[in-house]
Formats: sequence, structure tokens, C-alpha cells
Amino acid sequence: MQALLSFDKAPPFAAPLRFFLTAPFFALLAGLLLVWEGPSLLVSRWTPGTLAATHLLTIGFMLQIMLGALIQVLPVVAGVNIAHPLTVSRWLHGGLSIGTLLLAAGFQFGEPDALAMAAIILGLTITGFLMVVAPPLFRVSSTSPTIRGLKFAMLGLVGTIALGVVLALALAWGWSIPLLALADLHAAWGLGAWGGLLLAAMAYVVVPMFQLTPGYQARLSWWFPVLFFACVGFWSVAVLFELPLLAILAQVVASLLGLTFCIVTLRLQSQRRRARPDATYRYWQLGLSCAIFALFSALTVTLWPAVKDSNEWPLLFGILLITGGFLSFIVGMLYKIVPFLAWLHLQNLGESKVPAPAMNKILAEAAMQKQMACHGLAVVLVMGAVFAPEWLARPAGFAFVVANVFLIWNLAGAVHRYRQHALLIARKLAAL
Amino acid sequence: MSHPKTPHVVDARYMEPPEPFTKTMEMLDTLKEGEKMLLLLFREPHPLYRVLKQNGHAYEVELVADGTFEILIWP
Repeated sequence: MQALLSFDKAPPFAAPLRFFLTAPFFALLAGLLLVWEGPSLLVSRWTPGTLAATHLLTIGFMLQIMLGALIQVLPVVAGVNIAHPLTVSRWLHGGLSIGTLLLAAGFQFGEPDALAMAAIILGLTITGFLMVVAPPLFRVSSTSPTIRGLKFAMLGLVGTIALGVVLALALAWGWSIPLLALADLHAAWGLGAWGGLLLAAMAYVVVPMFQLTPGYQARLSWWFPVLFFACVGFWSVAVLFELPLLAILAQVVASLLGLTFCIVTLRLQSQRRRARPDATYRYWQLGLSCAIFALFSALTVTLWPAVKDSNEWPLLFGILLITGGFLSFIVGMLYKIVPFLAWLHLQNLGESKVPAPAMNKILAEAAMQKQMACHGLAVVLVMGAVFAPEWLARPAGFAFVVANVFLIWNLAGAVHRYRQHALLIARKLAAL
Repeated sequence: MSHPKTPHVVDARYMEPPEPFTKTMEMLDTLKEGEKMLLLLFREPHPLYRVLKQNGHAYEVELVADGTFEILIWP
């Protein structure tokens, strides 16, 4: 961990923490929306409530934590230093939070002004982030597959936000554009070219380090980002020039590449040298299993046109990939990063005279495992609710709320214990 | 452990941080004039690079097929 999050060049704790503590509230809101709306949220992926819940999870939860964590780890995984990390974090956090709430409200209540405001705020916020982070990142040479993957992921974020802004403004101001095809593309850029490539770039570092596994084969990790990005690029060209066969080919190859990455990661984890499975390992196993099922369902939808028109399969794909896949990977990593950052800052406060407490004193393994069980149950119930919405939609929403309240409790508890230990260390230092 | 590049090797591929860093710094202290050491890791250690640069050490990196970064360091 020290190699991942060295104190040297580390931003202040407050910089990433604001993202990590706020993000679960957006997931909680998504759960409440499911409790409130019930079965109608699972009728189709195009209902206002479904679009609101999806963006509460993808921007409010996923993007918050992804960008917050990047500010923390870029100096360590890529040797890239971001100027004024605390100021950047404040603006980014504010813009993302307000923008997400406006976007969700715009979808849920059919408010064009809220949608337009959200598009402008989120567009400006993420453009600002890219202007701060992209120049130093693209200046360093791609000496590792991680740096190369991060560069492609940044391009993925540009594509995602550009399409997202156009779609939201088109909805708000009634522009005539092919909404459904562009929304599919927006999802491919967001979950694939941005989310998938960012996850892979980080996995190359954190999977061997967290679980003591072998490394990813150099050829696979080097070529995966460019091939996957090319698939999303060809898919976009196919949509623009109405080339359905090229679109199908690009979707199939992208799904197969994603499956390869997941299966390789599972295989590496099976060769791990850390004997006891911790919450992070279990979360990644859950995430990889869900992602594999999601990608198989994507292949089925692509290759079996009759299924494509059903409401269940596309919904199942989104639920598996977002709640089962990305949320699991992200919470699994949070459970390593938050206790470690707390420990690192306490160690620094102690000035080598007062030792920092062990990381499990900041956040206990049992609490993380219990929260994970709640999350797993919520994922299973939401998946079941796609096929039996009348029975399972509200219980699934309730389970999702419980899992995220538990996550907030765990993270806030870690911060509370960090503050207690910081006071204790200050008193001990004063007494020396 | 020896390696064609040098007999002085820290194989840190299955070590938990901060062990790769401390083992590397310890071995650097034992190197004689003209000797080089090799650090093996499944990632690039950018914080270590900064320390090496600050201390006036030189290094070169090679990524090999199994995903190992071979970092050759000399004073």
C-alpha cells in the first residue's frame, strides 16, 4: 500500500475523503428512488426514474470516487503531480454533487431547465478536471501499461461527457437527434472506454499488490486498452454512418475483450499468495463474476435480435455491470484505501515518535465483510426484481438502502476513529 | 537470487509494501563502486524513482513478458 499511496507528494486527507464520504449518499438516493417508485422503475431502462437512478450511481457514486481516487493515486501510479489538489478537489466535488442532483431531478421530474443546468455544470466541471489532469498525464511517457491505460481512459471520459452533454441538452431543448443510438454509445463510452479502461489500468497495479498475485502478462495489459478503445471508436463510426454490421462486430469484440480481462484477473486471483480472503478480495470476486455475466448478456443481446427488443435483458446488463460489477470493485478498493490513508496520515502526525494504530483498528474486517454481505444480497434482489418487479422491486430498493447506510456507517466510523487517534497522538507528542 | 543483468537482485514481486522500498535502499547501501542492482516488481515504483533521483542514482526500466518490471539501479 505504501508504494501505492506514499506520503511523498500525497494530497491532504481531506482531498479524496470528501468524494469517498459523499458518494454512498448518491447510491442511497438511488435505493430510495427504487423504494419510492417500486416496480415502475424496472419497466424499461428509458423511464425517468431509471435514468435518474442510473446517473445517481454512475456519476454520483462511481465518477465521484474514481476522480477523487485519481487525484490521490496519480502521483504514485503514474508519477504525475497535480497542482493544488485540495482546491481542485473542492471545485470538482461541488460541481459533481450539484450537477448529479440536478440531472437526477431533471430526469425524475421531467424538468428541462434542470437537465440543461446539469449538462452545463457537469460539462464545465469535468472539462476543468481534464484541463488540470490531462496535460501532466499526457506529458509523461507511457512506460507502463497503467499509464497507457490511464491516457486512453481520459479520452474515454472526454467521449462520455461530450455525448452526455449533447444528449441532456437535446432532451432539454428538443433537438432532433437519434437519442436511443447515441444513448447506447454514451453508455459504451462511459462504462467501457472510461470506466472499464480506468479499472483495468488500476487493476494492473492493485491486483498483484493487494492480493500478492502474479502480474498481468505484458502483451495483454499493453494491448487491451488500445484494442478496447478501438472497438468503441468503430462502434461510434458505425452509429454515425449507419453501418449495423460494423456496430455488431465492434460490440462483440469489445465484449470478448472485457471477458478476457475478467477471466485473466480471476485466474491471477486464484494464484494469490495471501492466504486469507479479505473484504477487498471478496468484493473483486463478486465484481468479476457479475461483470462476466453482464458481458455474456451483452453478447446475447448483440447476437440474438429477438432479445434486443425485450426490456429485461438490457436492464439486467446494466444492473449486473453497474451495481454488481463497478460498485463492488469500487467499494472493495475503498476498503483498502480509506484505512490506509488514515494510517498514513496518523503515522505522519506521530513524527516517528508516537506509532500509528494498526489499520484494522481504523476499520475492522468483520464490519466490511458484513456490509459486503448486505451489498451482495441487494445485487441479487435487484437482479431478481427485473424478472419479478411486483414482488421484489421495493425489497431490493430497501436492501440497497441498508447496504449503503452500512457503507456510510463504516466509512464515517473510520474517519471518527482517525480523528480520535489524531487527538491522542497530539496529546502524547505534547507530553513528550 | 542472481540474474544475467547483475548478481545483486531484490525480487520484491510478492512482497508487501513498504518491504520492496526498504530492501532496495538497504541493498543500495551495500553496493561497491561500479556495481549495479536489480529490483523486480509487478508495477513501476514512482515514489522510489523520486528518491533515487534525489539521491543522484541512475536507473533504467524494462517490462518483460510476464509483467515484471526489471529496474536496474546504479549509484
